[in-house]
Amino acid sequence: MPSWFQTITKSRFWQSFFRHGWPDNPLDRSLVMTTNIFFHLHPVKVSRKSLRVTYSFGLGVMSIIVFLILSVTGLLLMFYYTPTIERAYTYILHLQTQVPFGQLLRNLHRWAAHFMVIVVVLHMARVFYTGAYKPPREFNWVIGVLLLLLTFGASFTGYLLPWDQLAFWAITVGTSVAAYAPGAGPTLRTFLLGGAEVGQEALTRFYALHVMLIPMGIALLTSIHIWRVRKDGGLSANQTVDEDHRDGQKHD
Amino acid sequence: MQLFEPKKLTRGQFLSLSWLSALVVLIGETAFGLMKFLKPTASGGFGGSIYAGKVEEFPPGSVNYILSGRFYIVHTTGGLLALWQRCTHLGCAVPWVEAEDQFHGPCHGSLFDQVGVVKGGPAPRPLDIFPVTIKDGEVWVDTSKPLERTGFDPSQLTPV
Amino acid sequence: MDKSTIKEPFSKSSAKTYSLVELVHRAPTFMVDHGPDDTVFAFPLVALLELLLTLGVSLVLLWMSLSVNAPLEEIANPNQTTDPAKAPWYFMGLQEMLEHGHPTLMAVLLPTLMVIFVVLIPYLDNDSHGAGRWFTNQRGKSITIKTALYVVIVMPIYIFLDSMFPPRELLRGIFPDLVSQVIIPAIFMGVIVLLPLLVLNRYHPTPREVMLVLFTVLFVSAIVFTLTGFLFRGPGFKLYLPWAMPGGYNPFSNL
Repeated sequence: MPSWFQTITKSRFWQSFFRHGWPDNPLDRSLVMTTNIFFHLHPVKVSRKSLRVTYSFGLGVMSIIVFLILSVTGLLLMFYYTPTIERAYTYILHLQTQVPFGQLLRNLHRWAAHFMVIVVVLHMARVFYTGAYKPPREFNWVIGVLLLLLTFGASFTGYLLPWDQLAFWAITVGTSVAAYAPGAGPTLRTFLLGGAEVGQEALTRFYALHVMLIPMGIALLTSIHIWRVRKDGGLSANQTVDEDHRDGQKHD
Repeated sequence: MQLFEPKKLTRGQFLSLSWLSALVVLIGETAFGLMKFLKPTASGGFGGSIYAGKVEEFPPGSVNYILSGRFYIVHTTGGLLALWQRCTHLGCAVPWVEAEDQFHGPCHGSLFDQVGVVKGGPAPRPLDIFPVTIKDGEVWVDTSKPLERTGFDPSQLTPV
Repeated sequence: MDKSTIKEPFSKSSAKTYSLVELVHRAPTFMVDHGPDDTVFAFPLVALLELLLTLGVSLVLLWMSLSVNAPLEEIANPNQTTDPAKAPWYFMGLQEMLEHGHPTLMAVLLPTLMVIFVVLIPYLDNDSHGAGRWFTNQRGKSITIKTALYVVIVMPIYIFLDSMFPPRELLRGIFPDLVSQVIIPAIFMGVIVLLPLLVLNRYHPTPREVMLVLFTVLFVSAIVFTLTGFLFRGPGFKLYLPWAMPGGYNPFSNL
């Protein structure tokens, strides 16, 4: 390492930021994980079995990546959007035709939203078929189901925001389905729409749900989800290592 | 003999109970307030009381569309009926098709007769109606609360 | 301290109380002699893998966004319904189910049962043996594949026949709606879902295998219904082939 680099990384200023040395040895590689808030979601050491691509296909990580892409593109879209029935549609037109990269940004947000639904569903299927819901991971499976429902909710509420024919009738049909729930159905629908039909109140409510409540819920539940994965000993594939080992000893 | 022996609470139990009930009250109040806060309030335009027109504008046997209220004024034998255009299946707007003498939903092919009773398709119940009032020859329709029904009954009509 | 109570786990001889195994340099001592250890340091390998995934996902989405524009139709008009009017694609399975029975049954009761079942899976099958292996074992794999094949064949046939000869229209006026729109579809659905379970029951299944069958039936049915509603439903919500839609309707314009 060049000396100027060492001077910087050994300085008190640098070391107040990073509480580990250059990660080329076991100690510092451990410290990277334990002293960095973004990395501390990971264990210091991971089992090779859980890294196998054909085991997890990286679907859980991909869900988080797409969620982050959606958060960033969504935040940027908010700079060019107002949830009023008079202006929402013209703002989308303006975004697509006048704003540099506006169309690209909207496309990214739209396709990422569809992608997230697919990835989250596939992730659930993967977890089911690998039996990764089994004890002690029952509760994390329940959180996962909630996350799937929230993903549907996030995508569905976002669908209305462009305020075009596609959005309007999709939400009309979708919320009409909810009204068939025995008992609370019609009330649920009115609360969701803020009225009897899809209108300004519905747009306002869907906007608040879409940009605030549901993303916050997803972020919170995702944190618990990942924390639980760590607490339960990483991916279930790790467990098979232990089982093989135990079985091996049994035969001695 | 005493049926109910008075139970003695310790100081700790009493305090725990107090805190717990305070918490329950707090949650209850918050939930109640939240429900009240989020409950939609009806305002003007659609969702309020709408002027449909003069009685003479709706001759017997006619079906007229009122755009601002998204409903149809049907004048059938016995009086007026205000049918909400919203299909009872999934909420699509159902147009009146004069040539077929029926309401024909474009989404899933639900069919309704002149008074909104299902003739075919997946709709589970007749078209919803709005209360109609006639004041000084003017037809007013209250669109704030659509009325669900299971069939047609002459009592639903407002006599002219 | 009484020496006889100290257990030295790595010692071969009971007389030997200590041994020099290895000199540990800058590594936690608890890692030593911990049995065959198939682990690697998460840094930098996992960080690199995640970076790779991020790049891959971004690249795919960017390529998609550059080649296909997000749809935007005319401004919303509450007085004019589009034909067909479809929900977002992931709810098309629900909308398709609505075609085959009363909404309360198809859009509320069955989906609610489905969600409750999915939530309860880990509590119905709580034997942690086989966790972390795809389909648990070879038998699980073959059960899953057979069930999936069964659903892929039976469900489209049911959807097609039910659309050709809908009990709702055939029995209108003969039986009340409760019979034609709730009881009959519920019996059909129940038979289709429970039939593979009855077959499986003859082979003394474990709870895991019951879950495999039920989940596969529901999961593959959801896919079949979603694809049918999304691809094969055209104007008037009638069944058409996706490439032969009347009026030039393109199912993908609803994305």
